[in-house]
Amino acid sequence: MPEETETTPPARRPSRPVPERFLASKSTLRLDRFMTYAIQLGGMAIIVAVFGIFVFIIAEILPLFHGAKVDHEERYELGITNADVMGVDEWAQRPFFYTGGSDLKFADLAKKGAQESVPLSLPEGAQASAWKRDARNNRVTLGTKDGRIGSFKVEYKSQMAEKAGGKPIVSASIKMEEFFPIGQQGKPITSVGFGDGGAAKILGAIQDVDGKPQVHVLCIREKRTLMGAGKPAIVGRFDLTNELEGHPVRLLASSVGDSILIADDKGVVYYFYFAGGTAKELRQKFQPFAKATDPNLSTLDYVFGDVSVVVTSMEGHQEVWSLYNQAVTKDGKTLDVRLYGKIKELPKLDGAATFYAASQRNKTFLTGNGQSATLRYTTTESVRWTEKLPFEIAHATFDAKAAHLLFLDKTGALHTYETRDPHPEAGLKAFFGKIWYEGASKPDYTWQSTGGTDDFEPKLSLTPLIIGSFKGTLYALLFALPIALLAAIYSSCFLPPEVKAVVKPVMEIMASLPSVVLGFLAGLWLAPLMEERVPSLLCALIAVPSGVMLLGWAYTKLPVTVRSKVRPGSEYLLLVIPMLLIMWGAWSLGPWLESWAFTVKDKATGKLIADFRMWWPEFSGTTFDQRNSLVVGFMMGFAVIPIIFTISEDALSNVPPQLKAASLALGATRWQMVRSVVLPVASAGIFSALMIGFGRAVGETMIVVMATGNTPVMDLNIFSGMRTLSANIAVELPEAAVHSTHYRTLFFGAMVLFALTFILNTAAELLRQRLRDRFKIV
Amino acid sequence: MTQLGARKPNSQLGESKVWLSAMGLTIGMMMVGGLLLLILIEGLVVFWPKPLEEIVVSSADGKTEVFAGEVRKIQHRRDAVKGIEKEEWLFFTGNKDASGNAFRFLDVESIKERKQPADLVLAERMEYGNSIFRPVSLTLEGGKTVPATEPGFFAELQRLVNEGNARRHQIERIEKKKIGDINKKLSELDLQLKVLNSDKGLADQVRADRAKVIEETRKGLQADYQKLADEAGVLRKRQDVDLLNYKLADGTERKQPASHLVTFYQPNALGVAGKLGWFFHHIWTFLTTEPREANTEGGIFPAIFGTFVMTLLMSVLVTPLGVVAAIYLREYAKQGFLVRAVRISVNNLSGVPSIVFGVFGLGFFVYSVGSSIDEWFFSTRLPTPTFGTGGILWASFTLALLTLPVVIVATEEALGAVPRGVREAALACGASKWQAIQRVVLPSALPGILTGVILAMARGAGEVAPLMLVGVVKLAPSLPLDFTSPFIHAERKFMHLGFHIYDLGFQSPDSEAAKPMVFATTLLLIVLVVVMNVAAIMLRNKLRKKYAVSTF
Repeated sequence: MPEETETTPPARRPSRPVPERFLASKSTLRLDRFMTYAIQLGGMAIIVAVFGIFVFIIAEILPLFHGAKVDHEERYELGITNADVMGVDEWAQRPFFYTGGSDLKFADLAKKGAQESVPLSLPEGAQASAWKRDARNNRVTLGTKDGRIGSFKVEYKSQMAEKAGGKPIVSASIKMEEFFPIGQQGKPITSVGFGDGGAAKILGAIQDVDGKPQVHVLCIREKRTLMGAGKPAIVGRFDLTNELEGHPVRLLASSVGDSILIADDKGVVYYFYFAGGTAKELRQKFQPFAKATDPNLSTLDYVFGDVSVVVTSMEGHQEVWSLYNQAVTKDGKTLDVRLYGKIKELPKLDGAATFYAASQRNKTFLTGNGQSATLRYTTTESVRWTEKLPFEIAHATFDAKAAHLLFLDKTGALHTYETRDPHPEAGLKAFFGKIWYEGASKPDYTWQSTGGTDDFEPKLSLTPLIIGSFKGTLYALLFALPIALLAAIYSSCFLPPEVKAVVKPVMEIMASLPSVVLGFLAGLWLAPLMEERVPSLLCALIAVPSGVMLLGWAYTKLPVTVRSKVRPGSEYLLLVIPMLLIMWGAWSLGPWLESWAFTVKDKATGKLIADFRMWWPEFSGTTFDQRNSLVVGFMMGFAVIPIIFTISEDALSNVPPQLKAASLALGATRWQMVRSVVLPVASAGIFSALMIGFGRAVGETMIVVMATGNTPVMDLNIFSGMRTLSANIAVELPEAAVHSTHYRTLFFGAMVLFALTFILNTAAELLRQRLRDRFKIV
Repeated sequence: MTQLGARKPNSQLGESKVWLSAMGLTIGMMMVGGLLLLILIEGLVVFWPKPLEEIVVSSADGKTEVFAGEVRKIQHRRDAVKGIEKEEWLFFTGNKDASGNAFRFLDVESIKERKQPADLVLAERMEYGNSIFRPVSLTLEGGKTVPATEPGFFAELQRLVNEGNARRHQIERIEKKKIGDINKKLSELDLQLKVLNSDKGLADQVRADRAKVIEETRKGLQADYQKLADEAGVLRKRQDVDLLNYKLADGTERKQPASHLVTFYQPNALGVAGKLGWFFHHIWTFLTTEPREANTEGGIFPAIFGTFVMTLLMSVLVTPLGVVAAIYLREYAKQGFLVRAVRISVNNLSGVPSIVFGVFGLGFFVYSVGSSIDEWFFSTRLPTPTFGTGGILWASFTLALLTLPVVIVATEEALGAVPRGVREAALACGASKWQAIQRVVLPSALPGILTGVILAMARGAGEVAPLMLVGVVKLAPSLPLDFTSPFIHAERKFMHLGFHIYDLGFQSPDSEAAKPMVFATTLLLIVLVVVMNVAAIMLRNKLRKKYAVSTF
């Protein structure tokens, strides 16, 4: 470029002085330099900013793939070595410890672990012999030496901190609850369980009767009336001892208050169900580690929600068993009963687990043995964190917010750890893998991001959404591709240039139709219209192309004198009226076809009903929706046809005229020329048009939102709807909490869309450029 | 290239396939034409006064029933068992307050008699949609009645309706403008009080004094408020004084305040000229008034205005950015692999789904930038977000990003099309590089840049998906531009034509009643987009011709 030389710098001034008027003024030079910098800087900044979109979205989704972060906070020398029960408030300020006896120890972590003993007002003569804490409401259930069972609750109150960000001041109080005699009087209780389901409560105990263990259960019901809660009353007492074969060692009561799990020393778990609290039923007996050398269990405990139990073997194998509907044959009848089944297998621990604590926030649990501790998330079977701690762990627990871990070591010191794991439910396995969710009868790909209850398990599989996106795209392309390609071939090879100058802009206008308009027409106008007329559409699908080809064939049979009157390149105009006629014919033929081919028998009257909408589900076993893929495919055609048309038309038009002329000169007919010369040469361009059309259809949002039912499905049934990635984002993102897993997962969906279309378009562009280069040589 | 199509007399091989390919083009053209025609007809029919029919229906038990309405739709429903088609008519019967339903499906066989009596009146009302009736009399203030048979009746009714409309405007002005101002001041006082209380550095005495001042101002404002509210109350009461007594087609007598009517006319008594007059009147009110009744009645002025302001803001943002980036890429950057890669990427960004830009806009503009702005400048209003929620500014930014590739590509093309000779001539005359660009290259590339901007505007005006994430709402209480300082309210949420279509069609409680409005809005949006596109295409063609001459 010569522009560098036009302003002569003073140093290289030639000997003869340049007249003043030929010199560029200083301000011009200054402005020029300024603009150069400004534009270079600005230009680069804008381009970097545009690509910043990509970086930003990645930054938003990265935390999804991080594990849990656990940091050591503090160590408190408490000297409590024999605590079997440890609980804490939700701010991890005042843990309590119970070591049997008649008082409860509190430690105040704000005061460096200062301890305080609070006496328990146990009933007269009661001496605790078994105890267990329920993390959900900080309740400690006690069994006494004289055969009673009861409980107390630790209730925390907090006062907000003076300054923002400070820790609140927490005070604790103990609320004693009723004690009931259970089993044989005067015999010590060795293990207890308390399931509190509000109106239904269940208490279970293993009692040592002269060296022989017995299992007893109390069912309590609270009658609720309009006046409020009534007095709780025992409605059932059960002795389960005779139903057990082994020696019972563990007892777990469901927080729904209707069932109890008992494990014996052979690792067999008994599932008892108490319908209404008045009848007992041994529903199931299962042995998780039947094949192990020592089948005994080292843990048996619920994860949050009390639908699944985590069982650990003595060797460290860990499995999740969950309640779901299973077909059971009983008395010759097949029933669906909710039974336990193994749904997950977690990575093995090194040996038997010695402690277990479940988070009260999600399906995370803390387990381990010796010095090692690990946080695991059941849904995705993933290990969130694992570490060898510098002490022997005796006991561990979560606070209610699952923001702190508390470890009590064997020397009696308490260690607090801060933990942050905002996205345990995410991960590649969750997004793309088949997951066996709680309560489901088989592993599946499911998208269900929000639920009604706290213990809801988010189901974040993007697979059905991606399938949905591809499904919509598939049908859009099936419809659009033939039309767009045929139109492109015709307009590039046969159409007179002056007509082409009109046709192309019309197609561009088609491309610019707002998708919300197309979506509205699809949903409110086309869908009801098509719903009743599927057979007519089928007719048209066959009749229009074959009719047109027949017309073309008939045309060739016309005498030359007639044909010579028709200007080549005006076939498309001649076709308008015949095509309208064929379409009308096909439209009216539809009902006839329907009554002939698509009939179902009415179950009530036995008469034949001609209705495609009823015939299709019976024929294919899939559903028929009003807003279906057919409608979407057709309307998306409006968006995709012009794109494929424009690009492939360009590619076809760019085929060097010499090639076309040569083939015609060799005696090819105009169609032979197209088929054997133009199409092969332009094939790469057509392929790139297809890719760009694909990219447009995959990301289309409004048409899909408005013209499908937006249900995530996994099939390719043309008469059902779908939920696409883009529609999912449009529908759910406004409601997603900022930086929640749901929010970031939607960003991940956007990223998938972005990457998909960007890569496709780039590939298409490169292909086109190569094509262009090839033509240069030709 | 017409000679290519010349027939080979001996061989018609593949001719039917040529026709097949012609079919592709015909279908494409039919699709565009059909769609535009459908929207044009459905959209215009909405404004045309339809005749009112009085229908006598015989019901199953031999009784007859009379009602009046407009025929809205004729549809065929197939009786599956008998296999025969049944014709069904959908009538718009209005009078939702009387019957609870404004529509009625009728078997064509059950219609005994159809009439188009000239005395039926169609009235648009503020509430319950339209009403179809025969007027009986007017009960004026003071108990005077004017029977419908009196010649001056309709003039009198018209006078009352006009007065009612005027009063309604007055009430609106008081409640929206004046009381709105007072409310704004009151909430500012609340903020001041909040700031005062959280300021720990103040002595208690000072704080108490200032709080007292604020309290006094508040009392003054509340007194003003009360006065205005009373004033509006008086007007409101006056609205209910003059009663219109009317009779429905089935003979039920009803009455309602005449000022609840917006307009009324007798469609069956209108000639073509009269109908044309009402047609244009309907279009005018549609374009200029605010929506009523969950957007299903009234006009769409706020949506037009919102779309306009958003598109304008967007083009103000996107034009300089796009032009600077294009100038850099074309004129300043060293042409090489990197620039080629950037060019391809920028080009491909226009193929990235718009929803992705919406996601970015929500995450970056709204939740990152907006929240930071709130923390720095509007911390007193927190937790109520000011910029930390969707608004017209963020929507414009998002759409500017979305349309940036369009402008960059168009500008680059336009810059590239400027003949090299022109550039060299400028440089040879001693212009600096910037001077050459500024005085010669840019002016000749201007139409091309303009084409790009218009295309970007057309795309931006029609895009809805990203807006759903960054600040569009179904009903905005105030416009983003108005006469209260600071005049441009960039943080406000806004209405948009495209979203209006989505919302009316799919979120409306009565989708059948909303349909005419959707079609009318669709027509407007389509006209807007098509006009912009046609303008861009024409501009481009002109440009091509111009350069075709100049590059010889």
